[in-house]
Amino acid sequence: MNPLRQTLELAKRDFTQRLRSKAFLMAMIFTVGIVAVIGPLISFTQGGDETSVIALVGEQPDGSEETIRQQSELLEIDVQLKRFSSLTQAEEALTDGDVAVVVNGTDELVFNDEPSLRLSAAVSGGIANAQRMINAAEMGLSDADVVSLLVPIQFSERTIEPAETEEDEVEAIAALVALMLLYISILMFGQFVMMGVMEEKQTRVVEVVLSRVKPAQVLIGKVVGIGLLGLIQMVAMGGALVFTVSVADLADVDLTGLGIQVLGLLILWYLLGYTFYSFVYGSLGATISRQEDMQGVAMLPVLVILPGFFLGQMAMLEPDMMLTKVASFIPFWSPMVMAVRSTTSDVPMWEVLVSIAIVVATTILLVRIGGRIYRGAILKSGGKTKLRAAWRSADE
Amino acid sequence: MLVFNDLHKRFGDITALNGLSFEAHPGRILGFLGPNGAGKTTAMRCVFGLVNPERGQVTWNGDVIDEETKLSFGYMPEERGLYPKMKIGEQVSYFARLSGLSTKEASAAADRWLGSLGLADRLGSKLEELSHGNQQRVQLACALVHNPVAAILDEPFAGLDPIGVEMMADVLRGLAAQGMAIVFSSHQLDLVADVCQDVVIIDRGSAVLQGEVSELRRSSPTRFLEVEVDGVPWTGEIPGVAAEDNNGRHRYVLGRGSDIAPILELAARDGEVTRFSFEPPHLTDLFREAVQR
Repeated sequence: MNPLRQTLELAKRDFTQRLRSKAFLMAMIFTVGIVAVIGPLISFTQGGDETSVIALVGEQPDGSEETIRQQSELLEIDVQLKRFSSLTQAEEALTDGDVAVVVNGTDELVFNDEPSLRLSAAVSGGIANAQRMINAAEMGLSDADVVSLLVPIQFSERTIEPAETEEDEVEAIAALVALMLLYISILMFGQFVMMGVMEEKQTRVVEVVLSRVKPAQVLIGKVVGIGLLGLIQMVAMGGALVFTVSVADLADVDLTGLGIQVLGLLILWYLLGYTFYSFVYGSLGATISRQEDMQGVAMLPVLVILPGFFLGQMAMLEPDMMLTKVASFIPFWSPMVMAVRSTTSDVPMWEVLVSIAIVVATTILLVRIGGRIYRGAILKSGGKTKLRAAWRSADE
Repeated sequence: MLVFNDLHKRFGDITALNGLSFEAHPGRILGFLGPNGAGKTTAMRCVFGLVNPERGQVTWNGDVIDEETKLSFGYMPEERGLYPKMKIGEQVSYFARLSGLSTKEASAAADRWLGSLGLADRLGSKLEELSHGNQQRVQLACALVHNPVAAILDEPFAGLDPIGVEMMADVLRGLAAQGMAIVFSSHQLDLVADVCQDVVIIDRGSAVLQGEVSELRRSSPTRFLEVEVDGVPWTGEIPGVAAEDNNGRHRYVLGRGSDIAPILELAARDGEVTRFSFEPPHLTDLFREAVQR
């Protein structure tokens, strides 16, 4: 029989059995839900695109409405003007939150609790302009003269350092979410592999399996089956991330492109990072046969991966710093650090390819080492098997 | 024919196998006996490459067992275990597919085996929902579902109730009749004597006695005599004949071909002889003698 077919059969079992487990489904719905909610939440809390209603009461110079609109546009405030017949009505609307400011004649602005400087500037600037236009007309100036008198001075802007745009902010958020997803997924599905290996040893079914297939097939099958499950979760979460980023809509630009780029990076680095760590987890799982031993053993890979999580956060702020650059080539951490760097800055393609090559090469080495430990430990009964003993027993 | 040829295996300071050799033939059931730690499980694991002997090999019809041949064997390890949360129908058919059956064949074979073991109405139950005896039946189904040419069963009768034992024995007899070579280990010697045609007794990693059960008994130089007079065991002294206590029963140890007529006369002087049994050693006796314990 074709060993590949057997390995796929092993993978299929791990995939379907775990997919059916309630614990997995709950975890998936929960995590995908959290990611999907982040975008609307950001959008809600930023509230940048709300229209401010300006209530007008009493008399303002002719043309004030038009000039207030012009000033608001200059100050990048989206406004709507509404005339009220009495101050009381307008203030009621203000307390109800339907109105942002009440313009009482030409001498009073009423805010609910906190005055807004920008609204204040837009209204006073607008009314002043309207008054100036009336005055200028009385002085016999032509319309063209008036317009040229009132032309605002516009500065062009430049910065010494690259300007921080709102898009950068969104990139940083996307990178943070990606980093968290990678960290959680690599650990979660790595631990599923460990648990699966340990359970097969604990229930002793592994001997029945190994009478039919080679140890390496069992380990690879498990890594593939559970990895595929992780991939599905990653795509679901990545989809939620694309949704989140496009809903967040902070920079008034279409962020779907960024979302898809992040999704691609997520899938690539998840596959690399998960495969790397799952062989570590799988071989460690073979050295234990009791649930209570799992926690201690599962800590080892966490200690290795944890610096990568912090370096990833550092890479979000300083993607081109030497430390984060170096970390993005170290296979323990590169799946997270390089993913973040690629999201937040323009990393040269060769750096990405070299980083991938290093992870792949190290993973191949790990498959051999992990496979040997698995082979040496999986049929050992009793408590914990020491790694050295497992290594030596592999030939028995 | 399955041949275990001069197997040697050490684990650290412990010698598990020390030149073990024996054969199992198609269509016959071989009982694989030995005290605890004699090397039975290690030898069985050698068939499936779960243990690599330092010297010697296991062959099937003259060829060293490769991955393909391995798949045509059935194995029931001593340490029982299947997936507790997997439905038994799915489980048995999964192992059939791992052995090379197509999805359709595997599913049909699983239904057939579980049906013949009395579990037709439990196909959708998880393994953990079954009683211990029924779990053992599922384990047997997993070992045999792919219709193997040889079956290696490590203590298949352990933990079964008398009905389970009878069921398992019938299954094995049926499979042997169809041409399967069956090797099973057991500590239940009466059962082995009842089910097996052949037997191998191993001690400290090598075979100390092997052959056809009936022939081994017949060819033994020892015979045992048990006598009852008036319905109670007779313990009279027989000149020149040793007596021993066999699990609370008094018996005399004689040589093959001894003249027993004078003994019958001797016993008859004390009353009516209600039982007079002159037999070759039972498997238990052969076992004890072979391992000298």
